[in-house]
Amino acid sequence: MKIVFRFVLAAALVAFGVWMWTVLFSGPEKAIRKQLVGIARTVSFSPNQGSLSRLAGAQNLGFFFSTNIEVDINVPGRVQQSLMSQSEIIQAAVAARSAVRGLTVKFPDINITVAPDKQSAVADLTVEVNISGERDPIVQEMKFTLQKTGGKWLVTRIETVRTLSILNFELRRAPSIV
Amino acid sequence: MTVQNQTARTPRLPDWLRIALIGRNFKFTLTRIVVLVVTCFVVFRFILLPIRIGEISMLPTYKERSVNLVNRLAYLRHEPQRGDVVAIRLAGIHLMYVKRIIGLPGETVAFVNGRVLIDGEVLDEPYEKFDCGWNLPPVKLGTNEYYVVGDNRIMPAKYHTKGVASRDRIVGKLLL
Repeated sequence: MKIVFRFVLAAALVAFGVWMWTVLFSGPEKAIRKQLVGIARTVSFSPNQGSLSRLAGAQNLGFFFSTNIEVDINVPGRVQQSLMSQSEIIQAAVAARSAVRGLTVKFPDINITVAPDKQSAVADLTVEVNISGERDPIVQEMKFTLQKTGGKWLVTRIETVRTLSILNFELRRAPSIV
Repeated sequence: MTVQNQTARTPRLPDWLRIALIGRNFKFTLTRIVVLVVTCFVVFRFILLPIRIGEISMLPTYKERSVNLVNRLAYLRHEPQRGDVVAIRLAGIHLMYVKRIIGLPGETVAFVNGRVLIDGEVLDEPYEKFDCGWNLPPVKLGTNEYYVVGDNRIMPAKYHTKGVASRDRIVGKLLL
């Protein structure tokens, strides 16, 4: 019984040590994940939120993006938008907040790849957008490119990923047809 | 004497309740619970992935909000087949597309007046209950690519998520 107890105690100590290590020496991945969750939370707004609070939320988005951010979103049949700066993003966010009653954005899956120099990273993620009053959510895979600037991870590029590459039809037509 | 006194002071559960809660042998019950939890974790995380179908793209085969299981081991011994309903991952497995495979690697897939043409020949689709008028240009699939589409094709083609999925995106086959 003593051996079992010692074994359990040792396992618990190892688990605690690993947990402490991850807390004290968390890599950039954790900071990036936190940043992305922050973006999802800031983009979201509820139908009963006041207009001032909505405006403040849109302005806060600027903290997550670099000034020269590029956004290229193309969700077939839903959204097609290209933005070239932080201010354009804020304008688009303000416009969205007046166009729809409420919006909930979630990133249920986030895969982060940090560059060897730990100064840039790419996050491949699934975006789930629920618009108040709409039955079906918008689901889209996206790629966020981030750069470490002044100790903070800022998003420099956002683009849609073609999970099912239907839009490549034009490029991939069968040889007999082209 | 001491033992009797202690027993008298400690309120004891009735036998039937004690058996119902912790079983006749607490150690065995605990072992059974641990085995059950570990088995459920392994099965439902790595073998049979529980999913809830959220949209209408697979009507009438799979209704919206129906529950199903994705067999992640279905393609260990053979590659996906035409007609299989598969789960396709996006960035991960928390949100996936559920689609039917209609085109296999190397084939050319096209839609003409709502009919699917595989290498120029009409594909028989008994599961397809709704007429559609889709016209999509042919696409040649690569060596590791499958053409997937939902069974519900009543909406215009541009609103229906469909297209070419690479093999590594196919998580498994729907079980039910």
